[in-house]
Amino acid sequence: MRVVVCVKEVLDPDAVNNYAVAGRLEIGPDGKTLTQTAIPRLMNGYDEQAIEAALLLRDAGADFTLCVISAGSDPDKLLKHAAALGAEELVAIQVDPATIDHHGYARLIAAQIEASGGADAILCGRQASDDDQGVVPALIAEQLGMPVVTVAREIALQEGALRVTRVTPDGDEVVKAPCPAVVTISNELGEPRYPAAAAKIKARRAKPTVVTPSDLSLSEDDIAPKVLLKKQFVPELQGNCEMLEGEPAAVAGQLIEKLRAEGTLP
Amino acid sequence: MSDNPIVVCSWGESRDGLPAGAEEVLHIGRALAADCQAALHWLVLGPLPERAGEAAGQFGVAALHQIDDAKLAPAGADACVAALAGYCGERSPRALVLHQTLEARTVAPRVAGRLGAAVVMNGVAAAPVGENLEITASAYGGDTRVVYEVGPGPVLAFIANAVVPEPGDGAPVAAEPVAVDLSGVEERVEVVEQASFEGPRLDDAEIIVSGGRGLGTQDNYKLVEELAAALGGVAGASRPLVDDGWVDSSHQVGLTGRITRPNLYVAIGISGASQHMAGCSAAKTIVAINRDPDAAIFQHARFGIVGDALEVVPELIRAASAS
Repeated sequence: MRVVVCVKEVLDPDAVNNYAVAGRLEIGPDGKTLTQTAIPRLMNGYDEQAIEAALLLRDAGADFTLCVISAGSDPDKLLKHAAALGAEELVAIQVDPATIDHHGYARLIAAQIEASGGADAILCGRQASDDDQGVVPALIAEQLGMPVVTVAREIALQEGALRVTRVTPDGDEVVKAPCPAVVTISNELGEPRYPAAAAKIKARRAKPTVVTPSDLSLSEDDIAPKVLLKKQFVPELQGNCEMLEGEPAAVAGQLIEKLRAEGTLP
Repeated sequence: MSDNPIVVCSWGESRDGLPAGAEEVLHIGRALAADCQAALHWLVLGPLPERAGEAAGQFGVAALHQIDDAKLAPAGADACVAALAGYCGERSPRALVLHQTLEARTVAPRVAGRLGAAVVMNGVAAAPVGENLEITASAYGGDTRVVYEVGPGPVLAFIANAVVPEPGDGAPVAAEPVAVDLSGVEERVEVVEQASFEGPRLDDAEIIVSGGRGLGTQDNYKLVEELAAALGGVAGASRPLVDDGWVDSSHQVGLTGRITRPNLYVAIGISGASQHMAGCSAAKTIVAINRDPDAAIFQHARFGIVGDALEVVPELIRAASAS
């Protein structure tokens, strides 16, 4: 059995949010990228949880090879982290992120999976915390003709199928998808584990298999972007907040009175 | 006028006899169709919602299409994808526009994958640029906006969290059946246990009181519930409370939770991270209670109180309960 997890490197979303809340988030001269060089780059949190989901399957007794794939300019750090966590196969698809869109990533990842013996399950984060698009898993599923189950909080292998507990607005839903299938993992899965110190040291020597689009017989046309990023900006807020001041009982009374006066409360 | 219409698609039925978010997405579709000098069509998958014809008239829909097939009642993902790919393959809309529900988050990219079309999620605005479209979408959990350019025929999902102006009063539109062959579709994903949610839903609530980390401890969340009860509203939460297990995910307001549009939204101990605001910025009136006077939530709020929730909220409960 083979389980593939796809991972992406992103700017730390908490750091980005801290800059945004402080009003110090800036876009660079290209008009497209954030300027803060102090923001650390790390593995997309949902993707870490996708690796954790695979490790939980292994903890439950499933016997499989874990393959972790990343595409981008320099995925070495992410893949070594995956190796330390127990991934046996590491694949780095080399491509310039500025020249490719989600369709391109999905084509490359699907082609790599097909060329390397397929997968019984493909696990991805529900979305990347930079662009929040969350479309690559479904595009991979379409490329490979697999079903896709989104926003999992729990997965289990059961007789050639995946039993998935999904986080829906109406509470948990349990579904069964025949393998092979693509599953996206949500934050409700829980905290991902840290690798052991010894495994981290050993993983430093891990060598990812490096693959280029031409290795996968994909031309520039095949992975030409359909969605072009034109610009990025920080939205402006129009604050017109009326601050109510005084002792708790007084402000509480004022607020309820104002809400009643404008008809917001009966 | 362009020959290729803007097509809004929906399925299912929620409150008011319309699919969730239908009016918001029809409003977006109508504006985009006008800017493109194209007709607005509305495609309904499965049973026709009770008020579809009436809403179609109000929002200037030129044609109301319905693909009514047993496999779309209720609509499974495989049947939805096949129906939409078949419809778009036949009719080449200028753009296919969806309200971003959890289901649409799966269906939109799959349809795009099948058609080889561009796909953009988290859309907040769209405008034509020649034959192409520019889509403004939320990124970094709402901290930034990105503008994407796509060619004709994209699949677009919108976070419909803006306030919709009063619709017009056009005459009701009759639904026309459209045939798409779904005989080859077998749903591959089987639902073993259905989600069952009892009680009032955040999506439908007129008044929402939400709590965040500023409450301090899980025990204090009961203040949120008590104030919600006193105001006749529903209790919600920010994502950290759900992640920490204080409340279940049906309470989560935000980009990865519920997109709400109440009359009154009271945010208690919530910093106002963009990812949360994406789920409540359509509220008519936002009230913020926070200890930190610099909290971002005050930039979104109509009324603000700087103070300790544990002192202010009990007083609010008292004031709200007094008639």
